Amino acid sequence: MFDVIRSTMPFLVEGLWITIQISFIVIVIGSLIGFIVGMVRAEKVPILSLVFGGYIHVLRGTPFLVHLYVVYFLLPETKIAWLQFEAFAGAIIALSLYTSTYVAEIVRAAIEAVPRGQTEAARSVGMTKLQCLRHIVLPQAVKMMIPPMGGIYVIIIKGTSIVSVIGITELVRAGEHAAQRHPSFLLVIYGLVALMYFLYCYPILRLTRWAESKLGKVDVSL
Amino acid sequence: MAECIPSMDWILDFYNYRVVAQFLPEFGRGVLSTMEISLVALVLSLIIGTLTALMSVSASAVLRNIAGGYISVIRSTPLLVQIYLIYFALPALPLLDRRLTELEGGIIALGFNAGAFMSEIIRAGIESIERGQIEGAMSVGMNYIQRMRYVILPQAVARVVPPLLGQTAVLIKDSSLVSFIGVFELFGAGLTVLSERLMPNEAFLTVAAGYLGIYYLMFLLSSYAQRKLGGAYA
Repeated sequence: MFDVIRSTMPFLVEGLWITIQISFIVIVIGSLIGFIVGMVRAEKVPILSLVFGGYIHVLRGTPFLVHLYVVYFLLPETKIAWLQFEAFAGAIIALSLYTSTYVAEIVRAAIEAVPRGQTEAARSVGMTKLQCLRHIVLPQAVKMMIPPMGGIYVIIIKGTSIVSVIGITELVRAGEHAAQRHPSFLLVIYGLVALMYFLYCYPILRLTRWAESKLGKVDVSL
Repeated sequence: MAECIPSMDWILDFYNYRVVAQFLPEFGRGVLSTMEISLVALVLSLIIGTLTALMSVSASAVLRNIAGGYISVIRSTPLLVQIYLIYFALPALPLLDRRLTELEGGIIALGFNAGAFMSEIIRAGIESIERGQIEGAMSVGMNYIQRMRYVILPQAVARVVPPLLGQTAVLIKDSSLVSFIGVFELFGAGLTVLSERLMPNEAFLTVAAGYLGIYYLMFLLSSYAQRKLGGAYA
């Protein structure tokens, strides 16, 4: 058994490294998209707000696995040059879109949680809408966004396991390869894979709970 | 008439509804299967969730730790790995004397996964009833069953049902992952079309529409529940 662990460990660690890379890129891109969508929704920008509302509902109403297949199989079918990406880019795009819906809801909830009086006061001293957002609302809202972002990061990490299906050798895929080499040690191999995810995610969840107790909890359904 | 044909071609090129119509029985079976799997997993998850929620509010530290450990492990590992562990890696169960089938493995993994999230919702519901409510009910002479029936449960249920419905919607979407171990459901129907016809648009746009339909039903159900329950949670 220890031979198996010793011989598969390097591959699993390599897979974990890919998982870490994907999750890191995705939280950055997903947060950027989500931030814009959430701001538009909170500020109720006409038309755009409705469009983004539809975007969130459609992505929330379908499994991530479907997004992944649509992005990976359908977009290249359109024969538009810049939609001809390979698996890694497809995985990043699909996961980022999926992440953006969660971020958008958090951003919206946080902005809406800033008391109305704050905006009214800022506007009455002559600030423009943007100044008010920039100097009054956002500094308060961002503080509330921090704790739930930890939960989102964990959702992303767990989501990366699904991109194994389009052939990216992240942690689960590395585990599948190892399982093919040592078919009688499935429990050990998948146990190790689970342990690695746990070691990556659990500290983040603990940190999130700690941040919640420090910065307060914003009521948002994930 | 002649001008119409190119535009029709374009639609057929992008989404050949005739092929979809041909595979409609598959998609129908897929939707039914997805709903069946989700329903059984939902019942399982509610049982596990209620038990572990009661454990996590109990006086015994051992029970609290067991429930807490279960929830942490489930929340910190991907569902896909949980499915693989239960289906591939679990040796023959001593009581069953055989390995689990794909369907059983998938449902059990889904149930245990959703159970952790249900547990947290139910625990929050129990903890949200203030002590004063119970004391008030006791002081007007209600016994335990009356207190539960008339004071605590109506409030707890009203607070818990909307988020539980939300979690059920997540469970339905998550059930697509059991296609990885070869269970036929809605996503599996899409995979069938992909492998038989190599038509990803027809396969996955239809699957997406199916999930959206289910999601919309859940959405209606949840807004109905919120109206019925007096918007206690809204």
